[in-house]
Amino acid sequence: MAVMEVHNVASGYEGVQILWGVSLKLEPGRLTTLVGSNGVGKTTLLKTVMGLLKPLAGTVTFQGKEVTRMSAHARAKAGMVMVPEGRQLFTDMSIYENLQMGAFSPRARASFKNNLDKVYEIFPRLKERANQKAGTLSGGEQQMVAVARGLMAEPEVLMLDELSLGLSPLLALNLFETLTQLKKTGLTMLLVEQNVTMALAVSDYAYVLAEGRVHLEGPARELSQNDEVRRTYLGI
Amino acid sequence: MFSHLSASLVDGLLIGFVYGIAAMGLSLIWGVMRVVNLAHGATMALGMFFIYYLFSGAGMNPYLALPLAALLAMAFGFIVYVVALHRVIQAGYLYTLLATFAVNMIIIGIGTTVFTTSPRNVDFSLGSVTLGGEILQGTRLVAAAASVTITGALYLFLYFTRTGKAIRAVSNNRAAAELMGISSARVLALSFGIGTMLAAVAGSLTATFFPFTILSGSTYQLKSFVICVLGGLGNPLGALLGGLILGALEGIVPVFMPVSWVPVVEFGLFVAVLVIRPSGLMGAK
Repeated sequence: MAVMEVHNVASGYEGVQILWGVSLKLEPGRLTTLVGSNGVGKTTLLKTVMGLLKPLAGTVTFQGKEVTRMSAHARAKAGMVMVPEGRQLFTDMSIYENLQMGAFSPRARASFKNNLDKVYEIFPRLKERANQKAGTLSGGEQQMVAVARGLMAEPEVLMLDELSLGLSPLLALNLFETLTQLKKTGLTMLLVEQNVTMALAVSDYAYVLAEGRVHLEGPARELSQNDEVRRTYLGI
Repeated sequence: MFSHLSASLVDGLLIGFVYGIAAMGLSLIWGVMRVVNLAHGATMALGMFFIYYLFSGAGMNPYLALPLAALLAMAFGFIVYVVALHRVIQAGYLYTLLATFAVNMIIIGIGTTVFTTSPRNVDFSLGSVTLGGEILQGTRLVAAAASVTITGALYLFLYFTRTGKAIRAVSNNRAAAELMGISSARVLALSFGIGTMLAAVAGSLTATFFPFTILSGSTYQLKSFVICVLGGLGNPLGALLGGLILGALEGIVPVFMPVSWVPVVEFGLFVAVLVIRPSGLMGAK
């Protein structure tokens, strides 16, 4: 059974409809990616999935239960965790406090120590700077805190929005390697990316979004061979 | 001249501690919720009347009535949040400003009918202490001690408890806090409750110094705005420091010029801080 299922979701902002019926499925333990050009509705979809935006139509199902009407914080408590675009850290708070806030929900709090050790192992630099204010960190370090904060929430599904945005190619590569590691632990992930090459390289399954609809879908390896995808998104 | 100056300064500082508590409440609501609470002064006045009736009517010691006032005020804050603020909190400054102004008008309207506007006085004395030639009123010393205790407690709460950190997280980034499983509505209600409680406590303490009417709160509300700008938003220590500065000014200025110059100096300072250091003396950003 899929961990999360989005069925025919239409959504947008006041006066502007952006998504016109998007459906996708996240299979357990799989890294799924959602690619597409800028402004096509990728972030809108994630916000709708998390409950930050109300859908005009369609449903979101998580672990077999419909959550379409649940508040964002209730979804987070249930294990739907999003690492938002632009990091959205608590900039006035220390790294450690950011991680504590990540583990705010009761189910995450129970395994706080354990998760903290894991997160520090993945990002040793965060341990060194635990007491530094998050707002004073470099872009790459802030993205590490954002991912670490998401992992502290003990996600059943981790959604990552524009992970590589604003990062140097090397830093982006490191973060993508982290995702591959996380996949080995069995974590279900949804990656939203503009960097199509990298995203397809690390993913199992991919959806291509165009004009507010799913334009193509399939195993990531097949899509990276697809002529149209190569022409439109990979520039080959 | 010198002894006169130091006496006024000490007097002003002791009152400044209470200004600090009132400003802390306003600063918390402003900083966390982005709501400018125009009902803050009216809530202070409610605190004054609460103490007055429990003292004059029921013969209760004002300091025993204080925790009761605090609890009731917190409950009142929750109710105001749910009824007047929750639905408009996302709509922006103007709407919440109008909502709290409406609450202010309701309190003052009902208050004027019930209490009339003739001044009341809590005739309660703890005697006085002479220290280094200065005569210190007992009620003001207790109020200063209460203020320091409250500031410390609020600081520890915000920086060392989970709920306190959640308040800071919501203050810093409301949407991100929701994504962490924090119910921002609950945190906002709690912040408004605590802010309202601080207003009522400040009012209760002030009632033991000065006579008052239901309209008395507005002066303190204005002072609280000046203090918030002086001290910077969201930091209880900043509010206390701002309160002390304002209190000291009120003590010193009348020694040198007519007392009507006090607001001129205060608001001159307000403008100067806004221009030179808009984040306040202890502001975060």
